[in-house]
Amino acid sequence: MSRFAKTLEQMGIPTAPCTALNVSEYVRGWNMLYNSGMPLRYTTFPLPIAGVSREVHETYVNGNDPVTGKPVMLQIVDALTKPLTNEEQAQDTMEKAQEPRLLPPDTEENLQEFFKEKDWTDYLPVVMPTEDRVNAMLKGTSHKAYEVVKTLAWPGGGRRLTVEKVAVSAVMAGAKAEYFPVILAMATMAPFGNSTTSMANMIIVNGPVRKEIGMNSGTGAMGPHNRANATIGRTFTLLSKSAGNLHAGKTTFGSLGSNLQYNNCCFAENEEAMPEGWEPLSVQFGYKRDDSVVTVATGWTYVSCAGELVTTYPPQLLIRDYMKSLSGMGSTALLCADPLVAGLLHKQGFTTKESVAEWLAKNVKIPVQQFWGNGIITTGYTSLARQGIEPFATWHNLPPDTFIEPFNEPKNINTVVVGGQTNTIWFITDFRAGKGVPVDYWR
Amino acid sequence: MSSPGYRPKATSTTGIAGKITVLSPACSSTMAERMPLTPRNFTSLAGKTVFLVDIGWGGPKAGYDVFEVMQGWFARNIPSAKTILVPKKGGFGDDDPELWKRIQSEGDACILGISC
Repeated sequence: MSRFAKTLEQMGIPTAPCTALNVSEYVRGWNMLYNSGMPLRYTTFPLPIAGVSREVHETYVNGNDPVTGKPVMLQIVDALTKPLTNEEQAQDTMEKAQEPRLLPPDTEENLQEFFKEKDWTDYLPVVMPTEDRVNAMLKGTSHKAYEVVKTLAWPGGGRRLTVEKVAVSAVMAGAKAEYFPVILAMATMAPFGNSTTSMANMIIVNGPVRKEIGMNSGTGAMGPHNRANATIGRTFTLLSKSAGNLHAGKTTFGSLGSNLQYNNCCFAENEEAMPEGWEPLSVQFGYKRDDSVVTVATGWTYVSCAGELVTTYPPQLLIRDYMKSLSGMGSTALLCADPLVAGLLHKQGFTTKESVAEWLAKNVKIPVQQFWGNGIITTGYTSLARQGIEPFATWHNLPPDTFIEPFNEPKNINTVVVGGQTNTIWFITDFRAGKGVPVDYWR
Repeated sequence: MSSPGYRPKATSTTGIAGKITVLSPACSSTMAERMPLTPRNFTSLAGKTVFLVDIGWGGPKAGYDVFEVMQGWFARNIPSAKTILVPKKGGFGDDDPELWKRIQSEGDACILGISC
């Protein structure tokens, strides 16, 4: 929002931006220093703002700013009328000391503590990134250490994520050099999901590189049972926190946080165990079977079916039922199915993954009031409904008990086959898969 | 790794016993160019037109409702101030240049929010 306030100020309109308490420190601090550069006169409101009554809103408006302690409305009037201070009139380029490449020498024990103090870790021990270890990691790619993988724009500051910086986090996570091309491809999608809604990521690897580096796509693939799965996923979090400068309460705001961020649910698809006619996720995205691809998905919800399938209720019906608990945001769902489940779906007539998606798109139905009853939907789609954009405009005007099909875009319903065929288990999630990033470029 | 007394091999040392040199995982940040606020050319909102812009976070009953309460406050406390409550187009992060131009043309000040 600061960019809108900045725009108005630059157009000569005194502006009083209002923020909630959860991001107040960020907008006044980091965002001003690294994004807007403008000392906007923010007023802070308590939480929650959505989902509470008019009476609560009246107490906010007639109460005090929880940060400054001043009456909210008088502070807003002051923000619009009070003459500028010298600081508020300043126009210059702010300078900041550069991060050193090497840290001062210290003991392993002290450095472990220092990394925790800087919030560069997940609070589990890390492997210390000595020059020798980082150089060994860099041998996993033909790319130069100084090459920029990505400029990290969020949360401001334009930080240049180099191949060497990615190698540092990979060493810290305990990765091997042979994993490094996958890690570099994954790093192009950094940082991890960051929202008050406590989103998370899922990292899926396809193609020959899975076997080359020993990733697990079978029994326990989504659990802590494989070094490549564990450390590739962990690297994503470590580089997001350190190079990405994402710190809870300062630049990340997930209210509950997500346990998935310990390794971002990193696994390989079990391409060898898919039914005839089913294609790997990467092939669905347009890659060839012999391309190695990493896909970083973003979402919130991760629901297990809990028990094995039974003959009286075909798998697609239970998947349909569980999908009703997803928000429907972006018409997105991602089914993680054991090969046994994929096989049973195939026997039900689903000869492709796309046919599963099309069936679910038509058969998952929820009352429209449930759809609009989720804040991620109201925040995302109300304005689109007001602009007449379909189907939201129609859905916005339906009687509350009317059933709609929120997963109306089958292409956004993906299936990944994973697991060791020890039971007919599946997870339904709402992770939105990107298009995949080629790994081979980073070899 | 965690056994008592474990010390990793110092693969890059400074020559000081027991100490190692490591690379920082942090990236340098580029600071923004500092920009001034626009001068406040009036000391009161009496007789002024104030836009209240709901960016849409939380849906139609969140910031919009707070701004409706604010309109009541202005009516009671600065009755000569004219308030115009407008929802911004698009998602809460989407720009709305037409609205900014309208505010520049018709307004004297703006209250914008509420980000969460």
